[in-house]
Amino acid sequence: MLAAGDIIGPETLVITREQIVRYAGASGDYNPIHYDDERARSFGLPGVIVHGMLNMGVIARIIKSHAPRQAHFERYGVRFRKMVQPGQKVVVSGTVQSVHREHGQTRVAMDVLMALEGETSAITGQAILTWPDEP
Amino acid sequence: MHHDPIYLGHKSEPRHHEIEKGAIRRFAEALGERDPIYFDEQTAIAEGYKGLPAPPTFAFTLNPSPIPGLELPAAGIIHGEQEFTFGRTICSGDIITVRAWVEDVKVRKGRLGSMTLFTIMREGVHQNGDNAFLARSLLIVTEGVE
Repeated sequence: MLAAGDIIGPETLVITREQIVRYAGASGDYNPIHYDDERARSFGLPGVIVHGMLNMGVIARIIKSHAPRQAHFERYGVRFRKMVQPGQKVVVSGTVQSVHREHGQTRVAMDVLMALEGETSAITGQAILTWPDEP
Repeated sequence: MHHDPIYLGHKSEPRHHEIEKGAIRRFAEALGERDPIYFDEQTAIAEGYKGLPAPPTFAFTLNPSPIPGLELPAAGIIHGEQEFTFGRTICSGDIITVRAWVEDVKVRKGRLGSMTLFTIMREGVHQNGDNAFLARSLLIVTEGVE
């Protein structure tokens, strides 16, 4: 059972170009900065970058995989601080801030983080997960 | 880039999205999901869902109709922040009605020129009127982007 101060993860992963292409298709976001290096550079980027929403979705997947099966997100918000490039190693983690049990529900608030190597924050945010307690 | 502030708060025309199993599976796969509740309907139903549940950020793929008065550049926008508040989980077979509006516009002038910060809201509602999600996006458009 989660308690304040618990760390979720960290999980290290790499988002590949193939995954970006799959996400473009699945989300309908065909902005060329996610698949065309030249167009990305014309906007001052170092090359194609990962969709912020793909990173946000990956963080949610990892957080939820460490929560009870019946848990769902009540609230989830992030700030996109640094761009992530395909092939770059990222580390995803959560830090539990508070756990409340009332009215048969458990409600957990946590900070979430996707960090680049060298511990630079690429994405920071907060999530609130809730689930019904066992009767 | 044009923005007519007279439209602040005015909602876009409602757009209805039929939530398809294939769309949920493809989205979950793109996120690297392996959990069978996103792929196998029987597993999802056994766990209390009425169909395949959508991962939370799937809500953002349900595009609204254009917001009247708002024209953003096609590329070069920075997505600064994204926040969701969730209601009843979206599942395959649901029909979700989405509307969007501009909540706020701010212009900031700095050393490197000016930037415009748009707070855009989207709401998704189930057929019976239950809330599915409320999403807030902060979009940053820098000077010189057309």
